[in-house]
Amino acid sequence: MDTTLDPNNKPFVSDASVSVEIETEDMTLNIGPQHPSTHGVLRLVAKVDGEKISSVEPVLGYMHRGYEKLAEVRTYPQITTLVNRIDWVSGFANEIPFIAATEKLMEIEVPERAQHIRLILTEMARIASHFVFNGAYALEIGALTPIFLAMEDRERVLDLIESVTGGRFHPNFNRIGGIKPAAGAGPTTKKDIQDLPAGFYEETRIVMEKVLEGVERFENLVGGNEVFKVRTKNIGIITKEMAEDYGVSGPILRASGVKFDLRTKTDFLPYEKFDFEIPIGENGDCYDRWYVRLMEMKESANIILQAIDSMPSGPLQTKVPKVIKVPKGESYVRTENPKGEMGFHVISEGGLGPYRLKIRTPSFSNISILPELLEGQLLPDLIAIMGSLDFVLGDVDR
Amino acid sequence: MRNKLNQSDSQSFLDSISSKFSNIVNEFDTLKINVEASEWTETMSILKNEFELTYFSWLSAVDWENEVSVGDPPKESVNPHFEIICCLSESVEGNLVLVSTKIEKDNPSIDSLVNIYAGSNWHEREAHEMFGIDFIDHPNLTKLYLPDGYEGNPMLKSFELISREVKPWPGDVDVEGMPEDGKEEGDS
Repeated sequence: MDTTLDPNNKPFVSDASVSVEIETEDMTLNIGPQHPSTHGVLRLVAKVDGEKISSVEPVLGYMHRGYEKLAEVRTYPQITTLVNRIDWVSGFANEIPFIAATEKLMEIEVPERAQHIRLILTEMARIASHFVFNGAYALEIGALTPIFLAMEDRERVLDLIESVTGGRFHPNFNRIGGIKPAAGAGPTTKKDIQDLPAGFYEETRIVMEKVLEGVERFENLVGGNEVFKVRTKNIGIITKEMAEDYGVSGPILRASGVKFDLRTKTDFLPYEKFDFEIPIGENGDCYDRWYVRLMEMKESANIILQAIDSMPSGPLQTKVPKVIKVPKGESYVRTENPKGEMGFHVISEGGLGPYRLKIRTPSFSNISILPELLEGQLLPDLIAIMGSLDFVLGDVDR
Repeated sequence: MRNKLNQSDSQSFLDSISSKFSNIVNEFDTLKINVEASEWTETMSILKNEFELTYFSWLSAVDWENEVSVGDPPKESVNPHFEIICCLSESVEGNLVLVSTKIEKDNPSIDSLVNIYAGSNWHEREAHEMFGIDFIDHPNLTKLYLPDGYEGNPMLKSFELISREVKPWPGDVDVEGMPEDGKEEGDS
C-alpha cells in the first residue's frame, strides 16, 4: 500500500518547528455565523497561529428563541408544538421526552399500540437525522455525491412519517395519553378511531430494505474512500473521561467506547421487546463517530422491521381529561434522541402549564467540548471535527 | 430480551444514596437530593468520586416567587428564593440524581462547579444571564445567548414577555371544548 494513503501515518502533517525563534502573532479568524458547514448560525472566534488553532470561542444565541420562558405561558398540549422545533432534523423524537415527563406526573398508562407507533416513528426520525449527517458530513469533507444519495434516501423515510402524521419535519403527533389519530386514514369522527394508513406495513418493509441498502452503499462509497479516511481517522479524539465530564452523549459518547444508550436504560418506550446491538467505537475520533451513526441506522431499521411484525392491537389513546391539568410535582425524563440525551425537567404547580420547564438538549452539551477539543488542532481539521459532532443550532440555542 | 432493565442495581444505588444523604425525595422516578448551599461543591465531589456519577448532564435554576408576571403563581405561598438544580448520572447503569439547593434572592451567589465538572461551564453561564446568579470562581462568567448590552434576566418570574403586555395570550380560550362537544365540556 502506498504510504501516503495510510490513515495512521499522517504524511501531510510535517513538523513545522524551525531552528530560528520567530515572534509570531495570533490572527483572529471569524468563522460563521453563515458558514455552510456550521449547520445553522454558529459563530466561532478562532485564534490561529499559522495553520494551528490556539483557541476557539463559540458564540451562541443567533437562534435563541426562549422556549423555556415561552413554555411558562403555554398549556401542556401547546408545548408539544414548541418542542418539535428544537431539533428540526428529528422533530418526532423531541416530543417523546416532554410527553413522557408529563404522563409520568399525571400517572397515565399509555396503550401498548400507541407506544409501538411512537417507537417506530422515533426510529424513523433517527434514520432521517443520521442520513442528513451522512450526506452533510461527506460534503464537508469534500465529497459532493453522498448528499444527493442521502437526501433521496431520507425522503422515503420522511414520506412514511408524513403518511402517518401529516407532517414531514414537525409532526406534532403525540398527545398526552397516546397519539393523534393517523392522517390519511379516513374521516376524523369520534366513532371510528383512525389508525395507521392503508399499506403502511408493506411500504415500511420496502423502505427499510432501501435504508439497509443505502447504509451499505455509504459504507462502501464514503467509508471506503481513502481521502475520507485520512481526513477523519485519528482526528479530533474525544476520550471517555472528557466526554463524560462535558456531558457529551449519544453517538459521540458511544464512539469513545462507552456502551451507554438510554434506549436500554430507561423505560420511556418499549425497547426491551426488541433485539438490537449498540454500536460503539474504539478511538473516539471523527471516523468512529461517523461509523457509529451509520451502524445505528442499520439497527434502527431492524428495530422498525421487528416492531411492525409484532404490532399489538388496541386503542391509540387513553382517556384523559378534556382540560389537561398536571398535578403538583416534578419529574425529569430523558430519552435517546438521535443526537444524544434529550431531557425535560417539568416542575408543575397544578396549573394548566408548567411552573418551570428545563430543556436539556444534546447538541448544547456536545458542542460545549469544542474549545477544549479544537485547541492545538489544524485549521483544516476544524470543519471535519465540527461536522462529526452533528449538531443543530436549534438544539443548541433552544 | 437481552436489554432488560436491571431493577436490583437501581435499588442498591438508591439505598447507598439514602445512607449518605438525609434529605432525599424520590417521586415520579426522579431522585432528588436536597443539600445546603454551603455543601454544594463538597456534595458534587462526593457524588463524583464515591458514587461514580462522572457524567454531567445539566445545571439550571428555578425562580420561586409568589408574584409572577407570566404564567401561574405557585398554588401555595412560597418563600421567595432561587433553587439551583444539577443533574448527574453515570454511564454504566444509567443511575441519575438531581441535586438541589436553595439560595437567597439578594445577591444570589453559589460556588462554581467548573473545577469538578468542566461541562458546567456553559450551563452556569446560561443560569447567570437568565437568572442573574453569580457563580463564584467561574473562569468566564459572561453572557452566553443574549447580546452584549442586554439588560435584565429573562427567566425571572418578574420579567415581562413584551408580546404578553401588548395582547393577552388567548391560551385559556384554546383549551375550552369545541362547540359541538357540549356534553363533555369542562373539567372532568
